[in-house]
Amino acid sequence: MEFSELIRTGRAQAELLRGPGAPPLRGTLCVTGHHLLLSPGPQATSDLWLLLLRSVDSIEKRVAGDSGTITLRCKDLRVLQLDIEGVEATLDIARSIEALSSLESVITSFPFFYRPKGLRLGDAWHFHPPEHHYKRVARETNAWRLSEVNEDFSVCPSYPRAVIVPRAVDDDALARSARFRQGGRFPVLSYHHAPSGTVLLRSSQPLTGPQKRRCAEDEELLRAVLAGARPGARGFIVDTRSAQAAKQARMTGGGTEAKAAYPGWKRLHRPMERGRPLQESFVRLVEACGDLEQSMDRWLSRLEGCRWLAHVKEALSTACLAAQGMEREGACILVHGAEGTDSTLLVTSLAQLILDPLSRTMTGFQELVEREWIQAGHPFQLRCAHSAFSHARPKHEAPTFLLFLDCVWQLGRQFPLSLEFGEGLLLALFEHAYASPFGTFLCNSEKERCLCEVRTRTHSLWSGLNQPKEQRKLRNPLYVLNPLAIWPSVEPQSLRLWQGLFLRWTRPPEPSEAAWEKVWQIVTDKEKTEGSQPTVSASEPQP
Amino acid sequence: MPLKPSSCLEDVPFVMRGPEFPVWLLHQLLSIIHTPWRMSLLRGLLGMELIGISVRPFLDFQERLALLGTFFILIDKEVIYICPFNGPIKGRVYITNYRLYLRSLETDSALILDVPLGVISRIEKMGGATSRGENSYGLDITCKDMRNLRFALKQEGHSRRDMFEILTRHAFPLAHSLPIFAFLNEEKFNVDGWLVYNPVEEYRRQGLPNHHWRITFINKCYELCDTYPSLLVVPYRASDEDLRRVATFRSRNRIPVLSWIHPENKTVIVRCSQPLVGMSGKRNKDDEKYLDVIRETNRQISKLTIYDARPNVNAVANKATGGGYESDDAYHNAELFFLDIHNIHVMRESLKKVKDIVYPNVEESHWLSSLESTHWLEHIKLVLTGAIQVADKVSSGKSSVLVHCSDGWDRTAQLTSLAMLMLDSFYRSIEGFEILVQKEWISFGHKFASRIGHGDKNHADADRSPIFLQFIDCVWQMSKQFPTAFEFNEQFLITILDHLYSCRFGTFLYNCESARERQKVTERTVSLWSLINSNKDKFKNPFYTKEINRVLYPVASMRHLELWVNYYIRWNPRIKQQQPNPVEQRYLELLALRDEYIKRLEELQLANSAKLSDPSTSPSSPSQMMPHVQTHF
Repeated sequence: MEFSELIRTGRAQAELLRGPGAPPLRGTLCVTGHHLLLSPGPQATSDLWLLLLRSVDSIEKRVAGDSGTITLRCKDLRVLQLDIEGVEATLDIARSIEALSSLESVITSFPFFYRPKGLRLGDAWHFHPPEHHYKRVARETNAWRLSEVNEDFSVCPSYPRAVIVPRAVDDDALARSARFRQGGRFPVLSYHHAPSGTVLLRSSQPLTGPQKRRCAEDEELLRAVLAGARPGARGFIVDTRSAQAAKQARMTGGGTEAKAAYPGWKRLHRPMERGRPLQESFVRLVEACGDLEQSMDRWLSRLEGCRWLAHVKEALSTACLAAQGMEREGACILVHGAEGTDSTLLVTSLAQLILDPLSRTMTGFQELVEREWIQAGHPFQLRCAHSAFSHARPKHEAPTFLLFLDCVWQLGRQFPLSLEFGEGLLLALFEHAYASPFGTFLCNSEKERCLCEVRTRTHSLWSGLNQPKEQRKLRNPLYVLNPLAIWPSVEPQSLRLWQGLFLRWTRPPEPSEAAWEKVWQIVTDKEKTEGSQPTVSASEPQP
Repeated sequence: MPLKPSSCLEDVPFVMRGPEFPVWLLHQLLSIIHTPWRMSLLRGLLGMELIGISVRPFLDFQERLALLGTFFILIDKEVIYICPFNGPIKGRVYITNYRLYLRSLETDSALILDVPLGVISRIEKMGGATSRGENSYGLDITCKDMRNLRFALKQEGHSRRDMFEILTRHAFPLAHSLPIFAFLNEEKFNVDGWLVYNPVEEYRRQGLPNHHWRITFINKCYELCDTYPSLLVVPYRASDEDLRRVATFRSRNRIPVLSWIHPENKTVIVRCSQPLVGMSGKRNKDDEKYLDVIRETNRQISKLTIYDARPNVNAVANKATGGGYESDDAYHNAELFFLDIHNIHVMRESLKKVKDIVYPNVEESHWLSSLESTHWLEHIKLVLTGAIQVADKVSSGKSSVLVHCSDGWDRTAQLTSLAMLMLDSFYRSIEGFEILVQKEWISFGHKFASRIGHGDKNHADADRSPIFLQFIDCVWQMSKQFPTAFEFNEQFLITILDHLYSCRFGTFLYNCESARERQKVTERTVSLWSLINSNKDKFKNPFYTKEINRVLYPVASMRHLELWVNYYIRWNPRIKQQQPNPVEQRYLELLALRDEYIKRLEELQLANSAKLSDPSTSPSSPSQMMPHVQTHF
């Protein structure tokens, strides 16, 4: 397909308003296959303004007299206004943006064309494979092995090629267990907690159905998990649905583990919101944050009415429950909901952040996102197709990953020294998950990424982020390694609206960013002092 | 024996000292030495509040009485503290004339309560000798710092009577003709906090007097206005006679006087009380002329802006009691705006609601809407918004500003001091902030005694109101939004609030300067600033970067204000994060490193400039070390 067919007008004169704080820009507006460009004129070439069309969430056009206005609402929650000369040009540009921003084909998307200077294709794509994770687990325990039963994605299309499973269970048994789990997502290891010798597992719901079917291999698998942990270990199954919902799932072929079939395992239900209600909560929150005219006397109750912070609380407390089960009770934990690709991952990844100091480092956290979200088959393409502004009826959209980032931000706020990365990294991940020049968040699973050759034909976000010039924005200057578990307070008065994200474009950015810059200065100054003697004396004139 | 009474009150609770101390030695000493040595030794021991546990059995009644001046353990008994978070805890309570101290006697609890008696606003008996049920007989104590304490005692033998009486006597000394504790406190610090504020020096710092403004001693003996300080800054062109005539037209004679002058554009912030307009719409030519003289101190400006802190309707209602506001007809060259800030009663009720939702248990299910229904943050927003408007008018040089409310000692103090904090970076340092409080609040007659009720048993007095707390909350909100702009940290603000009630220092006692002078407060009590300034590191913000002339405009939108959880909910153990607080620890480290770095750099620069004849080649100029932000002027 040729992009040129979709571009109705190449260029027009326009003025761009970028909200408070940023001065308006005037110049020539251009639509290309992937970008919207605004070039301020021949004399100032450096100030080229560029917007990835993929990041446009909704577009609104208005014409009056002989000019028009286009309002672009972006997936990163920015609102832009373009005042364009000429009615025809306005309508054409609007239509072009509309068509180009909603292209569904993966392989014509921008990451396949993006070739930044200084980066090589293929770099960092092998940064976090399951093998790497397994090496760490194997150092700590002998009870687990790396299985390649899913080599060709036939056992479970949403799992990566290799997964970590109990050593005592062979590949045939895994394949059978997979047939008993929705989407083939049999229980696999998510995290081994060495201090207590317990593990965190994740899967999807068992397909017990109305006849309460059982699967010997699946039962054997969970028995092997307990046998491999410390002697006498118990297990908890954290079901992210209510008991009622889990029971109802039987009617459609799903269900939950029967007590009698899995001795040693106890089921806990922690209902978490997902899908539509979560997306609606996100939309309402963004609407409330953008509503600057409304009288602010009712802000707090409106914020409460959005229920977003209630979701943050649910997610964090369920993760605390799982982490507590391992650390305090010495129990193994299996987490699943229905598909096991959304709230399940939210719980397992947050539980690791709470318990594992390594996952709170810069590379550890990137590994966690890669392993527990991308490779674990969170369907990014479906979930992040639209952000909060789209008028389209949501189908599969849900801000589960954003909820995860928000929870991480809350952890960082409560433990300001314990995370090696700062708000900058979380904001970057949010932006890139919804629209990115990098290939990391493309597709819904490893299988699809393989088919599209994402690894060989696009750049990895991690190599983009780990360039030295990005570090100051992403790192937390106050970080010191904290070997303890960080137990967050989930009381409502301990949770805050993430202003840096939700009010990012409406507040004056200056104070907090300037402050951050100064903190950096103090910290690097400190490092400089330690080595300042040579530099100063070096610049002295020789006698 | 190395006894230093100076550090006795802070940090080291006396009971903790006990076991480390060679008690046997003490007992030996006491049994062999006699007056007068015995007495001076005892005084030293009292300084450490050691006496109750260690040596009380060795004192006779006369000695006990003689020592009543300083700390003395008046009660020492076992009680049950009914902790709202962890249930009943058996503990040993010690009550001195300064504080109530309780240490848990249960092995699995490290609980310690340490409550200065000044914090207590109300003591009630709960249950009677025949009440049924466990722990139903005892005392219920309401505190001014957002908590309640409940103790259960044995029902037999009036066991609570002595505790109730002792507490009532010493928590409410005014009702028993006893002195407030600050007058008994013999602490010594190596810095004298009373010297922090010198009005002449502070006005000189502002460049006063100048051609348009003069310093007057007309109020030297407080005869012009008994709630104003003795030293005032007024327009050069207004004679003392003019001032006296204006005073007759302003509520409680609080005439418009200068609070702050802009160093460059010379616009000013002037404060006063409401004009006595009354129902009949009285006018006063002298007052009108005086305001015009104030306007004319800056010749380019055609209007004087008047901010009346009250809601419009309240200002109108005040006419009925003789007050009112400046009408357009009478004051041609003035523009009047109302700032919609409510009165002391509204604020008191609002804070009461905050306490209801945070203590003892936090209202969880509808936290945000409950918080909203207290309107506390909304009031904070209005105060900040008002101060921003004052600061903006002055900073932009558009006009001078006159601020008043009804009497000009509550909302007016909030507005002028917050605006000054936004405009003048000097007030954002530790000493600068002390001067700001000392000047705009203490010397200009914010009625601390009435608002806080030091030593007064009338807990329901209608004069009580958390106006100063609200101001400190606004400062905290600003420090959240500008993390590098303030030299002090959160602990500094909390310490000020703690000693607002504690009665350990004379700083916040009495309603006005004239009363303080009559009581010789500066001679007879210790200043809170002595405590703070002798240990400044504890109160420093490691990220502070001095920026001269930067004006701070906080965002006063509800979206950007938050409840000060570390103050209002600090008694709830679930709010506390990991102990010991790693952040504080790291901050201190950073602070030390930063000081070390600056010192090092200065040394290197000195060494460099000594070696170099041409200073321009110096590799590290001070601007690298201290980033200066462009001024807004």
